[in-house]
Amino acid sequence: MIEMINVSKKFGDGFRALHNVSIKIENGEFVFLVGQSGAGKSTLIKLLLKEISADSGSIIINNKDISKLKRREIPYLRRNIGVVFQDFRLLQDKTVYENVAFAMEVIEAPAKDIRRKVPIILSLVGLSKKSDLYPHQLSGGEQQRVSLARAMVNGPSILIADEPTGNLDPDTSWEIMKNLNEINHRGTTVLMATHAKDIVDSMKKRVIEIEEGKVIRDEKRGGYEI
Amino acid sequence: MKIRTIKYFIRQSFSSLWRNKAMSVAAVSSVFAALLVIGIFLTVVLNIDYLATRLESQVEIKVYVNDGLSIEVINAMNKDIRELSGVKDSTFLSKEKALEDFTEQLGEDSNLLDGLEEDNPLADSFIVTLDDPRMASNVTTAISAMSNVENVVYGKEELEKLLNITYLLRVGSLTIVVILVLISIFIISNTIKLTVFARRKEIGIMKYVGATDGFVKGPFFAEGILMGLLGSIVSITIICIGYHFGIHYIKQQSLGFISITLLPISSVFYNLSFSLVLIGIIIGSLGSLISIRKFLRV
Repeated sequence: MIEMINVSKKFGDGFRALHNVSIKIENGEFVFLVGQSGAGKSTLIKLLLKEISADSGSIIINNKDISKLKRREIPYLRRNIGVVFQDFRLLQDKTVYENVAFAMEVIEAPAKDIRRKVPIILSLVGLSKKSDLYPHQLSGGEQQRVSLARAMVNGPSILIADEPTGNLDPDTSWEIMKNLNEINHRGTTVLMATHAKDIVDSMKKRVIEIEEGKVIRDEKRGGYEI
Repeated sequence: MKIRTIKYFIRQSFSSLWRNKAMSVAAVSSVFAALLVIGIFLTVVLNIDYLATRLESQVEIKVYVNDGLSIEVINAMNKDIRELSGVKDSTFLSKEKALEDFTEQLGEDSNLLDGLEEDNPLADSFIVTLDDPRMASNVTTAISAMSNVENVVYGKEELEKLLNITYLLRVGSLTIVVILVLISIFIISNTIKLTVFARRKEIGIMKYVGATDGFVKGPFFAEGILMGLLGSIVSITIICIGYHFGIHYIKQQSLGFISITLLPISSVFYNLSFSLVLIGIIIGSLGSLISIRKFLRV
């Protein structure tokens, strides 16, 4: 569960990125976060990952107030939140398999678990046959699926996707949406920030719209609008 | 920390060293250059220190005693002196032996002393050597208070000068070594910063998937230590080879009556390798930690 209560964030230059934002997302929900560039979507995501801290208000993730989190506790918060980005952020000198295994290695998972879980997660995103290829040998959609696999391999309860289809053509985007939908059906809460109007309109999921740092719309089965 | 994790760090550090060959060579070279300067400097300091210690150990106190003491009294006095704290050894020098030595020293001119055997103007004495030349004045005071002692002589001013010089040398050399180490840490941290910068994407991903700071730092820390070790091994090798030929060269040179005794290469090697490996590790690990700090703020 994600809950933000009266969260505000100002940046050093006085820019008010978020103002009194309150949002509640239940476990297992699929939520689109929409709004124009600079509306505060990225700030909201960075706050959830504790990359930055809120000036006021509280953010509760899985019953824990993360605004009180100590620096050394942040890694453990992030192990419970998978993230994918518009630009994939894969390591070019590692294979598909190694890129996914890397996420487990760095949280010191046992080698046995890594060997068992990585193939399972790769087959889930349909990349079993490409596990020995390098990112540059893959299409954009495949690369994004690798990054999805990497985000999910440690079994997080929340998946945050920051414009995951931003660099992809419409057909490929739908492939990714299918993957995300499946991940959601398996019980993971998905929060996706996006500009893709047609995707939001046809998925009929909950939509939260932000404008100038404020929530201006929160619809159960919404469309993109703006 | 798990053994597996430490193995991972070491494996990562080797592969990173290999992957960024050019950068690694640059970093190891700067560790090497710094350690070479420090090492040469240390070698000189070790030798000066060795020389100073030798000079210091040559400091002796002459204790002149009353004429005509019995052998029992002399032995008792010798024992008392030896038992004083700070005294290394004490030997009795009879006035006859003193005259003999003097005659020998004069060599061809010894005829000047002819006839003095009958009426020896010299006095019986004890030659006292010390554990620590700084104890000289205490020992002198203690001996002066003994009975049958006529006069106690030691080169007080010369000794103090020598002690001052060796003290200045030690403090000065330590200061210079510290400055060199700081400069090296700065150079190494900047070199490793390039490695870290090249891997900032990897670090960012590690942070996003929940790696702890320690885990992110580990491989760079290991890499820094590895670079420090490599640099120190190269510099120790080169200094020792250079020293070996240096000793040889100096021995061949006829420097007239001045005899320069240098430390044997084995003792230079022991002293140097320990300090240089230690300094190399300190430089490498501090340098890498300083350079990675900023990239952890994700």
